[in-house]
Amino acid sequence: METSGQGQAFQADWLSKTLAGMLLGLALAYVSIALFAWYGPGGIDAQDKVQFNMWMITPIWFSIFSATYLFRTGKRAWLLLGIPTLALYGVFFLLRSMA
Amino acid sequence: MKVKAEILRTYQSVHTWTGICAGLLLFIGFYAGSLTMFKHQLQAWIAPIPAELAAATAVPPQQLIDKAIAAYPQAMAKGFELDIAHEVPYLSWYSQGGARGMNLDNQLTYAFLNEHGELTTHIAGENKFADLIDYLHRSGGLFGEIGHDQLGVYVLGIAALLYFLALVSGVVILLPTLTKTFFALRKEKGASRLWLDSHNLVGIVSLPFHIVIAFSVFVFAYHDFLYDGLGKFYGDKPLFNMPTKTEQPYHINDLPKLELLLEKAHAYSGQHTTVHVSYNRLNSPAPFATLKMENPRALVRGPDTDYLFMHPYTLDVQNSSFPQGDTGTWGNTVATFFSLHFGTYGGNWGRWGYFVMGLLGAFLFYSGNLLWLDKRTRKDGEQKRSTLFMAKLTIGVCLGSMLGVVVTLVLGKTLQQSAFALNELYLWIYYLTFGAFIGLSFWLGARKASVFGLKALALGCLGLPLATMFVQYTNPYAASWLESIWVDVFGGVFAGIFLFAANKTKRRSQAREASSIWSMQAA
Repeated sequence: METSGQGQAFQADWLSKTLAGMLLGLALAYVSIALFAWYGPGGIDAQDKVQFNMWMITPIWFSIFSATYLFRTGKRAWLLLGIPTLALYGVFFLLRSMA
Repeated sequence: MKVKAEILRTYQSVHTWTGICAGLLLFIGFYAGSLTMFKHQLQAWIAPIPAELAAATAVPPQQLIDKAIAAYPQAMAKGFELDIAHEVPYLSWYSQGGARGMNLDNQLTYAFLNEHGELTTHIAGENKFADLIDYLHRSGGLFGEIGHDQLGVYVLGIAALLYFLALVSGVVILLPTLTKTFFALRKEKGASRLWLDSHNLVGIVSLPFHIVIAFSVFVFAYHDFLYDGLGKFYGDKPLFNMPTKTEQPYHINDLPKLELLLEKAHAYSGQHTTVHVSYNRLNSPAPFATLKMENPRALVRGPDTDYLFMHPYTLDVQNSSFPQGDTGTWGNTVATFFSLHFGTYGGNWGRWGYFVMGLLGAFLFYSGNLLWLDKRTRKDGEQKRSTLFMAKLTIGVCLGSMLGVVVTLVLGKTLQQSAFALNELYLWIYYLTFGAFIGLSFWLGARKASVFGLKALALGCLGLPLATMFVQYTNPYAASWLESIWVDVFGGVFAGIFLFAANKTKRRSQAREASSIWSMQAA
C-alpha cells in the first residue's frame, strides 16, 4: 500500500475511501434518483419512468465511487459525501411527509 | 493538464488492481460478446437447417397453422413458435423441456408442409451453441447458479464496477500526457512502448462504448436488487402495474387469423417487420403472444429485434419494447441503453462495429495484463513467482477460452451427424480445451504457451472451412452451407491473423528483451 511523502496532507486511506465511495456513493445515487422520481419531469406516475430511474442509479453511483480517490483523506471523503447524503435524505423525507 | 503527483499515484494503483482483478473475466466476456453479434450465423454454421426442412413447401403460414392445430390440438394449445422470416414457414413447439432456463436436453418438434403439401413433423434436440456463446458472454463461463440467474452473471456485475473504476483511473493517469501522446504509436521505442501506446489509444477512442458497457452490465446483473431498493423510495406506489386477468379460458379453435395479428402489429409500427411469433398458453385465461419485430434502421431493444406483446385473441397491444408517441420518452431512453449495449442499431454495419469494438475491448484487458507483467519484471529486476503465475494465467485463460470456442465449433460441426448429445458435448469440449490449455500454459511457461496457443488458434480457425467441406463431402444433402459461408471466410481471415501474431510473438521471444516477460525462461 502506498503512502504519500512527509508533510503532505494527502493519504491513500484505501479502505475508508473505498467504503465511502461504495456505500455513500450508492446512498447518494438512490436519494438523487428518489427526488428525481417524485419531483423531476413527469412526476412519479410517468409511464416507464421507473425503468429509467433504475438504470440511472448505477452511472451516478459509479461516477461518485470513481471520484472518491480524489479526496485528500478518507475522513474528508466520508465528511464531504456524508453531509450532502444526510441533507438530501432529510429533504426527501420532509417533502414526502408533507405530501 | 496538470494533475497532482499523489492523485496520479493513487489512480495508478486503482487502475492496476481493478484491472488485474477483473481483466481476465472481462476478456472472456468481451470476446464472447463480439461473437454474440453473429451468433445466429454461427448457429446456422454449426447446425444448418435439416435438408427435409429446407425442401419444405412455401405456403401461406396460416395454412400450416390450421393443419397443425387440427392434427396436434393439445401441443399447439400449450404454445408454439412460428418463424415467418424464411421463405418457407415452419413452426415448432417443445415436446420436452421448455424455453426457460438452459435445459440441454430440450426437444423441439418442428412442423412444416412437405413437397406434397402434407403436414410433416421432425423431432430434433434444440441446438444450444448460440446459448453457449451467450452464456460465456454473460457469465465468463463460471459455474453455478443463484436464484434464477447464473453465479457468473453476478460476478461479472462486480467486475463491471471494477472495470468502470479502471476506465476512470486510466483516463486520470493519461490526463497529463494526453495531448502529447494521444495518437502516438511509438514503434521505435520498443515493443513495450508500442503495447502501451496501443492500450491507451484503444482505451481512449472507445471510452464511450466502454462506459455504456460497464454500467449496463451491472444493471443487467443487479436490476432486481436495484428495483427493490428503489421500491423503498416509492412508498405505497407500486413500481409496475400488473395486467388484470379474465376469468374464462380461451380456446385455440377461436384463434384469430395470423393476418389480423400482423396487421395490428403493422398498425402499431409501420417501420417494423414481424419475423417471429411466439404463442403461449392459448387454452388459458391469460394467453399471450410475443412478436419479434425487425427494423434494421432503428434502435431496437432486444439482442436482435424489438418485442411487441399482444393478446392473441383480442389482439390488444399489451406492451412493447418500443413505446410510441409522447408517453414514450422514458421508455425510449431506456431502449437506447439496451441497444447501446446490444449494438442493435445500424443493421449489419452496427454489428460489425460492435464486433470490432468488442475484440478491441478484449485486447484492452489482454494488453493491460501484459503491460503490468512487463513493468513488474522490470521493477523487480527478476522474475518473481507471482509475476510468473500471472503471466501463465493470462496466457492460459485468454488464449485457452478462445481456443475452447474454436475447437467446440469445429468438433461440434463435424460430429453433427453423430449420435452424441451435442449440447452437453459442447460444454465438455469447451471446458476440456480451456482447462487443458491453462494446464499447458503452466507447464510450458507463458512464452512457449503463447506461441503454441496462437498457432493452435490459427489452425482451429482454418478448421472452420475444412469442417464445412468435410460435412459437405460426407453428407452432400445435409444442408445448405451457402447460408453460413461468411463464417468459413472469416475463419480463414482469422487463421491468418493468429498466424501473424504467433510469428511476431516467436520473433520477439527470440530477441529476448531483458525487460520483457517474453524473455522469461519457462519455469
